[in-house]
Amino acid sequence: MTAARTITFTLNGAPVTADVKPHHNLIEMLQGEFGLTGARESCGQGLCGCCSVVVNGRAVSGCLYLAQFVDGADVVTVESLDTREKLSPVQQAFIEASAFQCGYCTPGFIMMVTQLLDENPDPSDEEIKHYLTGNLCRCATYPEVIDAVKLAANKRKAVATA
Amino acid sequence: MAATLNPSDAKVGSQVGRSVPRLEGRDKVTGRAEYTHVMRLPGMVYAKLFRSTVAHGKIKSIDTSAAKKVPGVLHVVTVDDVMKVLKSPYYGPAFHDQPILAHEKVRFVGEPVAAVIATDPHIAEQAVQLITAEYEEMPAVFDEVEALTSDVFVHEQLKPAHTFADLKHLKDAKNTNVALSYNLRRGDFDKAFAAAEHQFEHEFKTQKVLHLSFEPFACICDFKDTHVTFYDSSQGPSFVRTEIARLLGWPENKVRIKVPYLGSGYGSKLYIKLEALALALAMIARKPVKVAHTFEEMFYQITRHPSTFRIKSGVDKNGKIVARKCEVYWNGGAYADIGPRVTQKSGLTAAGPYDIDNVWIDSHALYTNVTPSGALRGFGVPQLVWAYEGHTDMMARALKMDPVEFRRKNLAIEGRAHATGQILQDHPIEKVMDKVLERMEWSKPFDRGGNSHIKRGRGFAIANKAVISPTTSVAIVNVSADGSATLYCGTVDMGQGSDTAMAQMVAEVLNIPTEDVRVTPRDTDVTPYDMGTLGSRSLFHMGHAVRRAAEDARDKLKALAKEVGEPEGSNIPIAELFQKRYGMQAGNVIGSGIYKPDYTSPAPGTGQSPNVTPFWMLAGSGAEVEVDTETGHVKITKLITVVDCGKAINPKSVETQISGAALMHLGFTMFEKMHIDGGQVTNASLADYKIPGFHDLPTKLESLYVEHDQSNGPFGAKGVGEVATFCVGPALANAIDDACGVRIMEMPLNAETVYRALRAKMGKPLEDA
Amino acid sequence: MIPFDLAEPTSLAAAIKLLNPDDPTIRPIAGGTALMLMMKSGVFNPEKLISLRKIEGKFSTIAADTDGLRIGAMTTLGALERSKDVPKYAPLITRTLRTLSNVRVRNVATIGGALAHGDPHMDLPPVLMALGATLTIIGPGGERKLPVEELFAGYYETVLEKNELISEVHVPAQGSKKGAYFKVTTGSADDWPALGVAAVIEGDAKLIKSLRLVASAATDKATRLKSAEALLSGKTVTDDLLRQAGDAAIADCEFIADVRGSVPYKRELMKVYVRRAVRGAMDGMDGAH
Repeated sequence: MTAARTITFTLNGAPVTADVKPHHNLIEMLQGEFGLTGARESCGQGLCGCCSVVVNGRAVSGCLYLAQFVDGADVVTVESLDTREKLSPVQQAFIEASAFQCGYCTPGFIMMVTQLLDENPDPSDEEIKHYLTGNLCRCATYPEVIDAVKLAANKRKAVATA
Repeated sequence: MAATLNPSDAKVGSQVGRSVPRLEGRDKVTGRAEYTHVMRLPGMVYAKLFRSTVAHGKIKSIDTSAAKKVPGVLHVVTVDDVMKVLKSPYYGPAFHDQPILAHEKVRFVGEPVAAVIATDPHIAEQAVQLITAEYEEMPAVFDEVEALTSDVFVHEQLKPAHTFADLKHLKDAKNTNVALSYNLRRGDFDKAFAAAEHQFEHEFKTQKVLHLSFEPFACICDFKDTHVTFYDSSQGPSFVRTEIARLLGWPENKVRIKVPYLGSGYGSKLYIKLEALALALAMIARKPVKVAHTFEEMFYQITRHPSTFRIKSGVDKNGKIVARKCEVYWNGGAYADIGPRVTQKSGLTAAGPYDIDNVWIDSHALYTNVTPSGALRGFGVPQLVWAYEGHTDMMARALKMDPVEFRRKNLAIEGRAHATGQILQDHPIEKVMDKVLERMEWSKPFDRGGNSHIKRGRGFAIANKAVISPTTSVAIVNVSADGSATLYCGTVDMGQGSDTAMAQMVAEVLNIPTEDVRVTPRDTDVTPYDMGTLGSRSLFHMGHAVRRAAEDARDKLKALAKEVGEPEGSNIPIAELFQKRYGMQAGNVIGSGIYKPDYTSPAPGTGQSPNVTPFWMLAGSGAEVEVDTETGHVKITKLITVVDCGKAINPKSVETQISGAALMHLGFTMFEKMHIDGGQVTNASLADYKIPGFHDLPTKLESLYVEHDQSNGPFGAKGVGEVATFCVGPALANAIDDACGVRIMEMPLNAETVYRALRAKMGKPLEDA
Repeated sequence: MIPFDLAEPTSLAAAIKLLNPDDPTIRPIAGGTALMLMMKSGVFNPEKLISLRKIEGKFSTIAADTDGLRIGAMTTLGALERSKDVPKYAPLITRTLRTLSNVRVRNVATIGGALAHGDPHMDLPPVLMALGATLTIIGPGGERKLPVEELFAGYYETVLEKNELISEVHVPAQGSKKGAYFKVTTGSADDWPALGVAAVIEGDAKLIKSLRLVASAATDKATRLKSAEALLSGKTVTDDLLRQAGDAAIADCEFIADVRGSVPYKRELMKVYVRRAVRGAMDGMDGAH
């Protein structure tokens, strides 16, 4: 068995260390070492988006990302978005638009939509579809997700102007 | 907690019919919802499977020696080890035909042959790669029609479970691959067909597709010598409990099945899947064992039935269908799973929602050497509708009749007898049809486009389904001393929104806000019996049980009020009621409800029954397409689906179910297919087995319902989980035919298939390979 | 994935030293999005991976001058997509990246990795070939230059030695040339392509002065369609000529059958899309099906 290495990085704003082996991917580490199960491995091929995690400000597929590669990086997961008092505008919009069914892919969508709106605060339908190409929902809640993105965009604008 | 005994309606308002946001919404959007696949127990170890590489063969030897030497490996298990802890290693809902690990023979590529238990899943995976097996290969049978007459037999002898009376006669049957033949006879088909003015005969096929829930199958078994607990991604915890108790020879009360949220199922996680294996491994390891599939392994667990449907109709000179014969062959794969039920329960609707006096149906469940087939969102009905609605269009074209008017002339309306003999009630099929046609603007001129190589067309299809019967549901409503209400029901919310809908029914009866009702997670130690979350049965059956449980609780609260001397009609806060009775915040009121509908078994041989189902599901779809005749690519410009939902308990959930089901079926229709070569699945990954994404959405998608009060339903409601899948396939095939004059008889309607059909029509067929 | 070792050298030279020309179980890993798939499916079980992520930063930069673009091999596809220089010098690359895989893969996958993997379904190889891009390759003996079109030796095969690494991609400025890349999918809309066709054309609205046409995905490797190019070069484009070019293109390719289509069907697609790609380039439009 290959040796574990200790890595240091920032996880949802807090400095952390973890012992990881070379063959562990980011999702296994987040679940195994930190008990964060919002990012999940499903297809295992970077196609479904269930494992979306943000590393150094950019979304990655955690299932295709070796855990050791986040040594020194800034890692953000879905668990950082809400507080006890408040959901993020994207999370709130997903509930209001009923933009999930089984919920397994939902955290991945929430992460990607948050990134999308950071980059493009007012996306068109085509831009939404294009950006979310790599997020699949077997329950096919796609029309509702498009509604949720637009709703979230409005909520964020309202917060920004408030 | 503001709950009071008799609040004015104005205070709470109607809970049924309100688009209550999902009760579990916050857990899901924050990533904190719990799923079995990502659960861990203290001290848990991991199992990985070594699978067969041959489709049919005798096992000569299995070499596990190298695997056992890998550090971290605890056990390498074959069926011999399993049989030391469980004497009979066979399980299944209809037949006890599936071994926990391959026993003497393998019957499909991918069948589990050995399991490695290790402290780390990667070590288990590494050790699996070191296992080798030798097989004496045997001839295999893959095609369902061939399986009927083949001299290759998948099973030496059939082993029906005791569950179903109509399988008893198959006990110990030899030299057959038929796991059930269902027959329906009404009138005299042969005579009426021979006498008919027009005779039509077609053969339709469907391909092998699968559920692909994003949470792959997972099961953790924590075995103690006196009781056992499962954490399980299951759609039917009650069945799992019964089957595990049977395997152990234990009473049910020692078997506990806990089901957290389910990363969906669509029928795949029904009955028994990984549980028997997890049980055996946990008994051997004497530690909690987790068996969790990778995405790829789902291709070796359960799929939808491929089918061949030969359909014949006789039509009189007025365009009335007078005779119909349906011969349906279901490719059940290596183990029966629930295939025989699909064969019968769908088989009885094979003739469609039409009023035909002379009907002959033969529906055969067949064993073959491929991954087993089971229930998938529609329980066989989408395969049937694919055939009969294609057939209907082809007949209309041949008769030069408008396909919609031809259907209208033949639809079975309320008050008429179904092919089973049951008089149709709550069957507003014309209402559904009219709504589709209205949204399609069917009566307006249709723009066929002026482009040289893009051809436009439109199609329509309509269908019905009988809900599976008879089945039982039980529910408990517990009112606590502070007035809060908890619902215990075994319906598994795998995304369909059942927890919210059931809570709405409780809230409606108790006159409290839905948001105040807590629905407990499924746990067979706590939640009472339910037959399973399947076949669109839950809202109706469990809905009745839930309503009755809530009414029982309400009645008991009223009795309690009387007991403590409250006047009739008192609006005392519930908490005060308990305070008065028990002197402090103490006590409970427990309401319970049970529901099983009336049912008459179909007569053997003829399938006739005055009461074969408590309700009908109705759906219609309309599609518009653009076909690129240079490449065969089809663009779906419009897809409209209308269902009858009885009463929408939660309108938003109903719409989401309709569009989700329609889009899922768009994938099955247009491109999804398990490619199988010599029994080997060649595209077992999401890279090579594609499912619909954002860019596959039709340009215009409408998902609508009509509300025709279901007179025997809870609050007039009935289930809608499957119904929108029925008509998407044939509506698209009919639209393609309308656009460019080619008829595709086998799904999927991918670009190459359409292109080949176009070339064949031109008299210049494209060579095969 | 089964266990393996990981080395993270801090220079390209050190990485090359860790590679062994005779040991196929040691491989470099850049973004890793493609390699991880092979490891997860058990197609490739490494003893040791040599990560290139910590080598000198200069291998992740994009430089532009009148000659065109010099793109460090470790540049992610996302960085390439967001670069302000790329659309100025090679707009076809920016347009291609829009529909290449998905946002997360583009954020991690590198241009060097996309080329060295030798996967015929990828979008960048045909586009870079059509643009006439060249590579700088570094090995133990020093560096060499290689046109991208000479990189691919077959299905998932390149001419790279096991201890050679791509260090830079040079893309000549597109200038007045017009380009198009058509990605044809036959399953879901976002499937891997059944066929990719890239066209880069110098000419005016009707006359083609010169062109480069490249096919991928349907073929065992990204392939220049030289017979079709010869037919079209210096000609005024007509439907008939394009039809002939489509037929000629067939002869240039080794087709492969897979779940995305049979060989006869892919040939037909090729005929249609050679025509559409040339027209698309000349009309200044392109796109995915």
